[in-house]
Amino acid sequence: MEKNFILAGFGGQGILLAGTILANAFMLDGKNVTWYPCYGAEMRGGTVNCEIVVSDSEVSSVHKQDTDYALVLNQQSFDKFVNRVKSGGTIIANSTLVAKTEPRDDIKYVFAPMGDIANSLGTSKVTNSAALGVLASVCGIVSKDAIESALEKVLGEKKKELIPLNIKALEEGYNNLLQVS
Amino acid sequence: MENKNWKAENSEKVLIKGNYAIAQAAINAGCEAYFGYPITPQTEIGEYLSAKMQELGRGYVCAESELAAINMVMGAVSTGAKAMTSSSSCAVALMQEALSYASANELPVVLVNVMRAGPGLGYIYPAQGDYNQAVTGGGNGDYKIIVLAPSTVQECIDYTYRAFYLAQKYRNPVIMLADGLLGQMMEPATFGNYPYPEVDTSQWALTGAKDRTSRAIYSCAPDEKKQIQRIYDLFKKFDVITENETSYEEFETEDADIILTAFGSMTRNIKAAMKVLREKGLKVGCFRPITLNPFPTKKIAELAQNVKNFIVVEMNMGQMFKDVKCAVNGLTKIDLINRPCGEWLSVEEIVSSVEKILEKNYAASV
Repeated sequence: MEKNFILAGFGGQGILLAGTILANAFMLDGKNVTWYPCYGAEMRGGTVNCEIVVSDSEVSSVHKQDTDYALVLNQQSFDKFVNRVKSGGTIIANSTLVAKTEPRDDIKYVFAPMGDIANSLGTSKVTNSAALGVLASVCGIVSKDAIESALEKVLGEKKKELIPLNIKALEEGYNNLLQVS
Repeated sequence: MENKNWKAENSEKVLIKGNYAIAQAAINAGCEAYFGYPITPQTEIGEYLSAKMQELGRGYVCAESELAAINMVMGAVSTGAKAMTSSSSCAVALMQEALSYASANELPVVLVNVMRAGPGLGYIYPAQGDYNQAVTGGGNGDYKIIVLAPSTVQECIDYTYRAFYLAQKYRNPVIMLADGLLGQMMEPATFGNYPYPEVDTSQWALTGAKDRTSRAIYSCAPDEKKQIQRIYDLFKKFDVITENETSYEEFETEDADIILTAFGSMTRNIKAAMKVLREKGLKVGCFRPITLNPFPTKKIAELAQNVKNFIVVEMNMGQMFKDVKCAVNGLTKIDLINRPCGEWLSVEEIVSSVEKILEKNYAASV
């Protein structure tokens, strides 16, 4: 089994952090995993993305042309990555900022109001955690518990006070989709 | 936004970026001083060490240029200390003169090159275009550098340890040749402990001439005979390095008709391509030099006796290709699959290129 994920959004939406948490979750699950960011002249407000590959054996190539899952938090990222999803793959979009369109008919679409979930908890800053919750329930290869443990590990002692709110967002994201389907 | 809250407990598996892994491994190896100048995609090495070296009471200098940085490393290691610099392609180009001097002076300089695209300023995306720069070198005169090429974040740690050890053991500069992909990516890895013995430098290091006669390390050689002998000695030393330290990995080469060869992080892609091609019924193996210098020429020559085709896969215009060709020495066919820089050749691209090559070389017979 080898699956890859592209996570993308505005700079500042916490995409690289969400990717780091997801990659840690896979590591805690005992999988081989790589995390690779777009790097260079990126800026706040521009688009940012990272790519995660998880595998039972050694990760074959770290940076791939197409992806099994794309998690996109804004419209630009949806437009950019919808064509990078493999046929039969899934794009998971933040419907708070992404219009519900289906430009291809060979991939699956999941629209979830990740931004609204975060806002209902008092801050849009936890949109990334809500998104991870949605992703976990859609892809089924990483447990919510593993993501929770990874979140605690990554935020660590220094940002300990932020953990409960992020876990709440994660759970709401996870459950939101269950209610929809 | 990388996770820097991890604890470098020796046996713990941590998800860590290649650049941070190299930096922490240098600390574990006992690197007493770091000199460098920022450049993408390796800036995190200096960033990490700028804080840690101060905490540990070790040396850190953000030099005014790469030229200054590597000359500072020469100064530091001439005292017997372990020291390093790190940089990327176009800035490593500035260090070539010093590498020639360090080789002549037999100084254990450690240099990490996290490759980006060239020639000239190029850009920051990953590439493997500095194979020649590392292996052949851009400094003057006859000299050789030991070059190690990691393919995973774990190997970034392991080969950083090895670089410090080999540099002191042989009093020879060592380059660890990584690339932007390895520098920027995160992967689970374990630090372990620095696995090598400490090397005694007391017989040559410049430590102040208290209670002994003074020493000098210099490369100026007005005496022709001495200069000739010095070069012979350097090359004799490199013969020993070749004998003892040449290393490589091979995968499923026993029954292989075709051997894919790559260095550094491209190794992962050829291994995956090998699996796909094996499933299609082709007898494909992989060979990967770990030391690019000394190059495993002997082993490739041996493999070439039982193989029909070597195929070199690299992210440059065919730099390692010529070393493999030289080693194969006409015994088999040899082809190149390459791209100059940027997005790594995908497993699918490698598979289809291999199939095209086989069609070209053997028509319908394979």
